[in-house]
Amino acid sequence: MAFPGFHRSSAVLRMGATFVILLAFWLILSGYLDLFHVCAGIICCAIVAFISSDLLFRPDRPVRASVRSFVRFLIYIPRLMASILVANLDVAYRILHPRMPVDPGIVTFETGFSDGVARTAFANAMTLTPGTITVDVNGNRYVVHALMKEHSERELLVEREMEQAFAGIFREER
Amino acid sequence: MILNAVALISIICGLFFMIVGAIGLLRLPDFYTRAHASGKCDTLGEGLMLLGFILYEGATLVSVKLLVLIIFIFVSSPTAVHALVNEAYARGVRPWQKGEERR
Repeated sequence: MAFPGFHRSSAVLRMGATFVILLAFWLILSGYLDLFHVCAGIICCAIVAFISSDLLFRPDRPVRASVRSFVRFLIYIPRLMASILVANLDVAYRILHPRMPVDPGIVTFETGFSDGVARTAFANAMTLTPGTITVDVNGNRYVVHALMKEHSERELLVEREMEQAFAGIFREER
Repeated sequence: MILNAVALISIICGLFFMIVGAIGLLRLPDFYTRAHASGKCDTLGEGLMLLGFILYEGATLVSVKLLVLIIFIFVSSPTAVHALVNEAYARGVRPWQKGEERR
């Protein structure tokens, strides 16, 4: 086997889980629950799950770890939404203020993520939340454009609150 | 009745953020700061408006589709903004600094 920890049973589990998710998505989007449409959905989802089950659940990681990360992310969403709201009110205030108190600049910093999904999720959240937009990600080096340079520098280089939250969500487990 | 009121408030808040995003697009000094306005305000604005539609619609299949749409927007919108900003940065568009003239 190519990967350590790669088992035949977990490949089947991955396919099954992918199939269930795809079928749920199909049923939501189609909305028809008659025999023809459901059967067509089952056939399509089975083919897609068979071919590309390693896209949703990575083969080098147990399915349970992926599911746990996902659940932890779901629990984090309310906090993320709250900080998105705060960030938006801040940007709205700066836009509508007659003198527009912005002091933009580029901030570069390093993170400790080793996992591609974690990096992507973090970059995505960074664009939505604290006055920053992810410009470039190179390995663990993030280049972000900040609307308020000093404020973001303090947040990203000293406090690192969001980075720790994401590290907790996508922590490596075997 | 109360649910409709909450839905209306949510839609109006969404509209507020969309308008602020548009104003920011006009007022802010350069490409990167404008990306902030469109990337953040539009995402939250659209999200709040769709949330209002969900509350107005009630527990139907349409609501579930709208929820899927919200998730899609929250993933795709920052990605699109990142793609734009990344390309501008790679081409050497210099960020505006405080004190310079607006572009």
